[in-house]
Amino acid sequence: MTQLAEFQSADRQHLPAALARAAIIAGSYWLLSLSLTVATGSFAAVAGCIAACVLTGLPERENPLERLRTPVILIAAALLAITGMIAGSLITGSSPVASLFGPVAAFHLAEGVKWLCFSFALTGAVRVLAVRSSAGGIIEVLLVATGFVIILSAHRNGMINRPFFLGDFALSRGLDPATILLVLGCGAVLCLSALLLVEENRRRLPYHFALFGLLCLSLIGYVQTFGLPTPQMTDDLGLTGNSAQRRENPFHDGENNTENKQAPVAIVVFRDDYEPDGGAYYFRESAYSQWNGYMLDFTSLPDMDRDLIAAPGAPARETVSSEGRRLVSATIGTLVPHRSPFGLDAPIAFENAPNPNNLRFKRTWDAHSLVPEFDLNEMLGRPVGDPDWSAEVRQEYLRLPDDPRYGELAREIIGGLRPQYADDPFARAWAVKNYLDRNGIYSLANEHAYAEDPAASFLFGDLTGYCMHFAFASTYMLRSLGIPARVGIGYSVPAANRAGGSSLLIQAIHGHAWPEIYFEGYGWVIVDPAPQRTLVDMTTDPQNELQQLLGDMLRGEAAFEEFLQEQAGFTINWQLVLGALPALLAALVLAGYAVKIYRLWIPAAAGLAAQHRLSYRAALDRLAAVGVRRRFGESREAFAHRASATAPALETLTAWHLAHALGERPPSLDIEDWNAARRRISGEIRGNTGSGKRILAILNPFSWLRAK
Amino acid sequence: MNWDSAMQAQQDETRNMPDGSLEDAIGVLQRLRDVMRGQVIGRDDVIELVIIALIADGHVLLEDFPGSGKTTLAKALGDAIGDDREIEHFIAPFRRIQFTPDLLPSDVTGVPVFDSASNAFHFRHGPIFAHVVLADEINRTSPKVQAAMLEAMGEKQVTVDNVTYPLDELFFVIATQNPLDLVGTYPLPVPQLDRFLFKISMEHIDRKSELEVLETWQSRRDGARGDPAVTRDELLASRAAIDRGVAIAEVVKTTLVDISRRLRADERVLQGNSTRSLVLMLPALQAAAALRGRNFVSAEDIELLLPRVLGHRIELAPGVADLNRILHDNMREPMERLAGSTLD
Repeated sequence: MTQLAEFQSADRQHLPAALARAAIIAGSYWLLSLSLTVATGSFAAVAGCIAACVLTGLPERENPLERLRTPVILIAAALLAITGMIAGSLITGSSPVASLFGPVAAFHLAEGVKWLCFSFALTGAVRVLAVRSSAGGIIEVLLVATGFVIILSAHRNGMINRPFFLGDFALSRGLDPATILLVLGCGAVLCLSALLLVEENRRRLPYHFALFGLLCLSLIGYVQTFGLPTPQMTDDLGLTGNSAQRRENPFHDGENNTENKQAPVAIVVFRDDYEPDGGAYYFRESAYSQWNGYMLDFTSLPDMDRDLIAAPGAPARETVSSEGRRLVSATIGTLVPHRSPFGLDAPIAFENAPNPNNLRFKRTWDAHSLVPEFDLNEMLGRPVGDPDWSAEVRQEYLRLPDDPRYGELAREIIGGLRPQYADDPFARAWAVKNYLDRNGIYSLANEHAYAEDPAASFLFGDLTGYCMHFAFASTYMLRSLGIPARVGIGYSVPAANRAGGSSLLIQAIHGHAWPEIYFEGYGWVIVDPAPQRTLVDMTTDPQNELQQLLGDMLRGEAAFEEFLQEQAGFTINWQLVLGALPALLAALVLAGYAVKIYRLWIPAAAGLAAQHRLSYRAALDRLAAVGVRRRFGESREAFAHRASATAPALETLTAWHLAHALGERPPSLDIEDWNAARRRISGEIRGNTGSGKRILAILNPFSWLRAK
Repeated sequence: MNWDSAMQAQQDETRNMPDGSLEDAIGVLQRLRDVMRGQVIGRDDVIELVIIALIADGHVLLEDFPGSGKTTLAKALGDAIGDDREIEHFIAPFRRIQFTPDLLPSDVTGVPVFDSASNAFHFRHGPIFAHVVLADEINRTSPKVQAAMLEAMGEKQVTVDNVTYPLDELFFVIATQNPLDLVGTYPLPVPQLDRFLFKISMEHIDRKSELEVLETWQSRRDGARGDPAVTRDELLASRAAIDRGVAIAEVVKTTLVDISRRLRADERVLQGNSTRSLVLMLPALQAAAALRGRNFVSAEDIELLLPRVLGHRIELAPGVADLNRILHDNMREPMERLAGSTLD
C-alpha cells in the first residue's frame, strides 16, 4: 500500500467540468476581444480558446503535451503568439492579399489569424500552468476576471451610461443601466465561482470559496462605508475635475482627445422655455480677464468681473442690465465636480437646490439668468465699457501681451471696414470674428501649448487650434483695438440637442471658451468665432434617452423616483449589519465551543450502546485539535497507526470501534473500559504534545470540524 | 476409485470435520505464519498473502527473479502442513515442477502404467498430487501443459484417459514467472491469470533481512526439521470456521462494488475486473481479517488485498502503465465513504 499512498494526485477531470471551463474561458475571451477587434477576431479568439482547452484536456495517454516540460510549452506559446501577430501584420501589409480578397476581407483575415494564435497560445499556456502547478489556477481566474473588468472599466468614472453598448441597450428599453451592470457583475461572480468549482482539487475548494466570498463582502462593505470613488473627469478646458486646484496651462497639446467627448458632465432642466438666437446655449462658469504677465487669468481684483458669482447663494455684486434680456430659470445638476457653478449667459443668481439623488449628482442648484433676446445688430453704435469702472479696471480689461503684431493684424483686419463703421466697436469686433471664421482651422491636434504665447503661436502661425486659441487671439486683438474684452469659459451646447424636451445634457465636448465684449447697458456680450474649416468631428450623439432620464432624475418627480423608492425598500441597513457582524462572529465562536464541549462530554453521559461511536469520536476530536487528522481516503487503522506516535491507545480504541461498526460479534466491554480508553488517550496526547499546541487546541472553537 | 465415490468421500469428510471455533482458526493461522517466518526471512508480507490464499482456497502467482526464495517459501509451507491420514499416501506435502517447453501434460498429472502382475493399467500419480505445488516458471511451458495445470487448479481434479482423479481438498499452487527474460515463453492470457487469486510481485528483501539470511543459513540448512506446525485437517477446519465466523459488513461489499465500477468507468482501463473476482475476494478478505485476529473485515484488509486481487485482472489501455496510480485514484473516494460510515 505504500506505493499507492504515494499518489496524492487529484481525481481525474470529467467532461462536463472541462466543457464548462472551456465555455467560461471562451466567454471571457469574447468579452475581452469585443472592444479590441472586429467580429471575426472575436470568433477566432473563441475558437482558439476552445481548441486549446480541447488540446490540454485530452486524456494523458493521447496528449502530446504530456511529454513536454512546462518551460518548453510556455516558450512555444509565446512564439506562436508572436508568429500570429507577425502573420497578421503581413496579411494586412501585403498588397497581393488585399488585391485578391479586397482590403476589408484582408483585414478580417488578419484579425482572425492574430486572435486565433493569441488566444490559442494564451489559453494553452494558462491551462498547462493551471494543471501542473497549484498557483497556475489563479492566473486563469484572473484572466477571466479581466474580461469582465475590461467591459466595466468604461464605467469607472461613475458614467452611468457607459459602456455605450450596454448603456444604450438599457436606456432604449427604459431600464436603469445600473441594473445591467449589476447583472454583469453577478455574471462575473458566477463565472468565477464556476471556474473555481470545476477545479479538480476538491480539498482546496472550500478555502478558495471562503476567500472569494470574503473579497466580495469586503468590496460591498467598502462601497457602503466609503461610497463609490469620486468620478475624475477633465474636459478640454480644465473646467472640471482637478481644476479646483491651482489653474494649469489652459492650452493643451494632444491631451484633448475626443475619446471621452460624449461623457455626460451635467444636466440642465429648463424652468422657462428658451431658444437661443445663435443656435447654441452658452453657460458661463467663469472668465479669464486679468493679464498675469503671461496670459489672461482669473481676476484677483475685487472690482473686476463683478458679474461672476463664486458660489450658489453668494450675493450678486453687479446687476446685469435687463435691457433686451429676459429672465430664465433652470435647474442644473453636475455629474462631475466643478470649481464653480455655471448658468445660462448671463447668470444673475444661483440658489442651492435639493439634490434628488446624491449618488448621481455632485451638486444641484437653480440658476437664474438674464438671457439675451436682443439682436446683435443692436450693438452697432453702442459704446463699450462701463462708465462706473475705475481707470484701473478699464486698464486691466485692455491689457494684452507686449506683442505689436496683435495691433498690426487687428488694424489690418479693420482696414477693410466701410468708413462709416470704421470706428464702431461692434463692427470692429465683427470684422475680427469674420477674419478668424474664414481663416482659422478648428483642430485638437495643435502644437502651441508650450510656445511663450500660445495665442500668438496660433494667430501668427498656422491658425490651427481650438476654442481656447480662438478666444485668446480674438480677445487680444479686440483689446489692442481698445475694446474691453475677456475670455468667457463654460459650456456651449447646440440648441438642437434639446430635441424639444425641457432637459439638456451637457457633455464633455461642450466645454468651450469664447471672447466677450462689454457693451454699455448690455453687459458682457458673446461674440464667438466659428471657424468654417474644422478637422474635428464635433457632433455627438445627443443621447436623448440619457438626457431625459437624467432630467427626470433631477426633477425628482418621475418614474425614476418610484424606482429609487422601490430600491430603497431593499436596501440593507449596513450600519446594523456592520454592528451585527461581530455579534454574529461571537455567536458562531460560542456555538463552535458548545459543539466542541458537547462532543467531548457526551460519551460520559451516553449509554453503552453508543460508546463505540461517541468515545471514538471524542478521541478523534482531541487528536484533530492537536493537528493529527485522518487524510482523505486513509483507512481508520492506517490513521491509528500513524497517530500512535501521539496516542498509542488509539489503535485499541479503533479496533473496538470498527468491531462494533463493521463486525457482528464485537468484544464485550463495559462502560468503564471505554472511559478508561478515553482517559488514556487524553493522557497520551497531553504527554506527547507541546504545551503551546495544547493551548491552541483548547482555544480553537472549530477543531472538531476537522475530525472525521 | 471413481469420481462420484471420491467426491462423496470428500464431502463426508468435510461434513465430519470438527467444528473449530474462530479463535482456534486464528491460532492455527498465526502458528503457521510464525513457523514460516522462521524459515523465510524478510518476506513477512508474502507469507501473509500466501496463507490468506491458502485459506481462501485460491492460488498465487509470484512474479520474481531467480533466487528470491520462492522455493524456500513453498517448501516451508509444505513442510509446515502435516497430514495425519494414512490412506492417501500418494499425496505429498510439497512438490516442485519445473516447467520447460518440452514438458508433457502427463508429466504433471501422472500416467496409467501397465502392471503385468495384475494385468491391468494402474494410475501413477504425478507431482501435482500434493498439498503445496510449486509451479516454477509456468509461462515457459506449452499452452497444453498450462491448460492441464490450470484445469487442476480450477476444478481440483485431473483427467487422464477420460478418467477423472480428484485432488486433495487442500490443494495449493504457487506458480512463478520471471517478469524479464521473456524469450521463448508462452505468456498466460488474462482469463488464465484469472485462476490465480493473487499476483504478487516480489521485491528484494531489505538489507537487515538479507544479512540475517546469510547469518542463519547454516543453522536453517542443518536444523532438524521439526514437526509440522499445523495439520491438513486443522487448516480445513479453520477454513470453515473463518468462512462462518468472520463478518463482512454491508458497507464493505458496497465499497468493493463501488471501486470496481469506478475502475471499469476509468478511461485508462480497457477492461475492468469481473464480478467473479469480487466473489473470490470475499474469502480472502475474511482470511486476512482472521490472520490479523479480527472477526470482521475492515478497510485495511481491502487496502492489502484489492491491488493483489484486481491487479492482474485489469487490462490497461494502450500506453498506460501506472496501475498503482489508477487503483489509488479509484479507491480513495469509496474508501473514504467506508471510513466515514463507521461514525454515522
